[in-house]
Amino acid sequence: MAYLTQPDYVKYVCSCGQLKPITNLYFCRHCLQIRCAFCICHEVDSHYCANCLENMPSSEARLKKNRCSSCFDCPSCFHTLSTRATLAQPRQSTEQGSGDTKVENKQPKKMYYLSCFNCRWTSRDVGIPDQPVASGGWPERANPYATRVNQLLDYYKAIAQQEKQEKLDRERKKFAIRGKYITLTDKTGLTGAMARNIAGLPSSESSSSAIASFTPSQASEEVEELPEEFYTKELNLNQITSMPQRLASPEWQPTHVSRLHPIAKLLSVKRSQRCRVCDHNLTKPEYNPGSIKFKIELLAFYHVPEVKIISYEPIKPGCTSALLLKLTNPTGHEMQIRLMQPEDIPEPEERVDEPKSIEKSLEKSLNLEKDTSWYETVKRKPILLTECRITIPDVTLTLAQRDDAAEYDDDATHDANDIILWRKSNKLALRLQVVTSGEAQAGAAAGAVLALQYRYRNAVPPAAQPPRDHTLHAALRLHLGPVCG
Amino acid sequence: MSHNIKILPGATVCEDCTLEGDITIGGGTVIHPRVTIIAEGGPIIIAEYCLFEEYSTIIHKKSDKQENPPKPLFIGAHNVFEVGCKLESPCGHIGESNVFECRSFVGVDVKIGSGCVIGAACSLNAPQTLADNTVIWGSEHHNREALEKQPSQMLQLDFLSKVMPNYHRLRKPNVHKRQTSRQSQEPIKA
Amino acid sequence: MELQDTYYNKAEYVETASGNKVSRQTVLCGSQNIVLHGKVIVQSDAIIRGDLANVKTGRFCIISKGSVIRPPFKKFSKGVAFFPLQMGDHVFVGENTVVNAAVVGSYVYIGKNVVIGRRCVLKDCCMIEDNSVLPAETVVPSFARYSGSPARLITTLPEAMPDLMTEFTKSYYQHFLPTTVN
Repeated sequence: MAYLTQPDYVKYVCSCGQLKPITNLYFCRHCLQIRCAFCICHEVDSHYCANCLENMPSSEARLKKNRCSSCFDCPSCFHTLSTRATLAQPRQSTEQGSGDTKVENKQPKKMYYLSCFNCRWTSRDVGIPDQPVASGGWPERANPYATRVNQLLDYYKAIAQQEKQEKLDRERKKFAIRGKYITLTDKTGLTGAMARNIAGLPSSESSSSAIASFTPSQASEEVEELPEEFYTKELNLNQITSMPQRLASPEWQPTHVSRLHPIAKLLSVKRSQRCRVCDHNLTKPEYNPGSIKFKIELLAFYHVPEVKIISYEPIKPGCTSALLLKLTNPTGHEMQIRLMQPEDIPEPEERVDEPKSIEKSLEKSLNLEKDTSWYETVKRKPILLTECRITIPDVTLTLAQRDDAAEYDDDATHDANDIILWRKSNKLALRLQVVTSGEAQAGAAAGAVLALQYRYRNAVPPAAQPPRDHTLHAALRLHLGPVCG
Repeated sequence: MSHNIKILPGATVCEDCTLEGDITIGGGTVIHPRVTIIAEGGPIIIAEYCLFEEYSTIIHKKSDKQENPPKPLFIGAHNVFEVGCKLESPCGHIGESNVFECRSFVGVDVKIGSGCVIGAACSLNAPQTLADNTVIWGSEHHNREALEKQPSQMLQLDFLSKVMPNYHRLRKPNVHKRQTSRQSQEPIKA
Repeated sequence: MELQDTYYNKAEYVETASGNKVSRQTVLCGSQNIVLHGKVIVQSDAIIRGDLANVKTGRFCIISKGSVIRPPFKKFSKGVAFFPLQMGDHVFVGENTVVNAAVVGSYVYIGKNVVIGRRCVLKDCCMIEDNSVLPAETVVPSFARYSGSPARLITTLPEAMPDLMTEFTKSYYQHFLPTTVN
């Protein structure tokens, strides 16, 4: 928890070179690599409203412009509006003379209005009539430019389709030989267009008509003069909307508070994350919006040994200070850990995946299609140069597996060892020495780097192989406060 | 400091609160535990049907410009002081039906009309006058004018005055109206 | 950084059989309506208003100094009712915070000087930062981190939030020690 309330003292190096606290990292069990939000693929799993926690299918969400149909935000302060009930004495009896209604309407009727508990805005402020039902039924305003927006949408959709078609034709010429494998790209929806092509049909006609009938907008030279009263009339700032209020409803942009209208609440999404290298899911949440469980949850926090700083002596230039670290093994298997310098991590061997079987070559052909250029943009070299250097003891530490029952056990056992301070189930405390170079500037942030070599047992191997032990490495950077003068 | 606490019949005042100086508490007012009301600069008069929640603090501050005899701080009817709010105003008069939300702060030289809402954690320090029905909210102290007055808390006060005697030691009303016979069971109705 | 030990005066605190540590300097009104589900710490000057309605907390909750846990009320056409306040397991409530919520889920972190408005619903795994104000009837979804006044979603929380909160509240409890009287 220290992770959320304190600065990140310990940062791990992701496989893409980013420095992140361990809680923000993922661990791909298939590539055996640390991944972070920066180098993985984020996917929208489901849409839901954060207020009523109602799920909405993605097709419906698109139709409703990603807004909830029953919840509203306050147009004045953007807090969620609450529905209030009042008892209204119907006044129809006075308006309509007939005796029947008089008898019927004796009972006060429950009427509902929207009200904001933050700024006390109510739907009555702008004259929206109270509704007889608690949710829904609120008058919707039509976008004055709806037809034009739809026209533009159709036009750009048509253009997009046209371009896609052209690209497809080009690609087909390029990969004519590999035509056999095209069914593999079912997912991308190419087959429909392909089929039409093969059958010799012209690419859908509707699109061309949308392009043909489209009239581009024209900029006008002349702009209407501002009315005289604009300069002379005194303003009541309480009546004028603020910029955020106007921008919250771009279709209407009300200038006057009496034109503010409840804003349908934006939907939230549940995300799942995917490794971009092997396409396996890293996290996948349960569908229910109220659930905090995950179907797949490959977090570094559960797979990579965790390092925490217990305490350290102030860092002084040219001095040696003690540093106490806590190591935790989060996995269900015993773990051997060696400390080392990050520069001693062996370079990862280039994976030699020579296609051996037909499946392999298929996989390869798919990989060929996969765009890997992202990796070059994402990848960076972490800056791991520091003035402080940790003296690495040459020992292999064995950490027991995680055991939830162990918390009730006795106190920590104190080792006689001068490196290991104490041990407690899957945790141990280390005493290390930090040597600071004499050139360190007083007041500058002190940092030290450390690497771990750990034995990781992959309990769920990809293809029914027995559990395999791997030797993995993780580099991390410790922030040790400012250098003291 | 003189301790002259006058509690009118129908008021519910918990024993576990700090009342110092010359204070008059109107009928129907409910004071929760751990409320601090200090009348050091002059008397404090609280009208009927006010609600003081836990840790709310009302101080009539001493000041140099004070008249002699000091003017009382008058708190109008139906004011709600939510948990942890603080009012330091010696400015004579607080209107009616205001809501001082949780952890709000109203400093000296702030005049407050009626039907105002001082939002949670808002703090008013500069000398100013709040017009009726002003609503202040948020860290940037936005303000707007509400259409209607804040609804009264009569129902809540009614409930509290029934429930609180079961759980708390209360200070007994010590000022009686002329009809002393009916005072303790006086129904609390608007 | 690891949590440091917090020491308390042994005479000030009462420890129950289920491991609750409750300061004597608190105001627990209507204590028959308050259920602390074990290993809960209630620090000095905290107020829990069990007289208004039932208050239930889960295991390993921490109610810090000066905070007020207060069941919310709701107005109906015929009178008002105070709703019971439920709090899940592993909840941290910071100093001088006012909690008027209807439901506080499990693994929730509420910072210090926070105001949680009436009938707010805090789902499991959420965090309200220090000095925030959550207006009445706000629903805070899971894995959301809210901040500001009025509080808004600023970012999401790591997926391991349940474990982080469990570890935090447990180690807080373990590091909450009586001063050794010499």
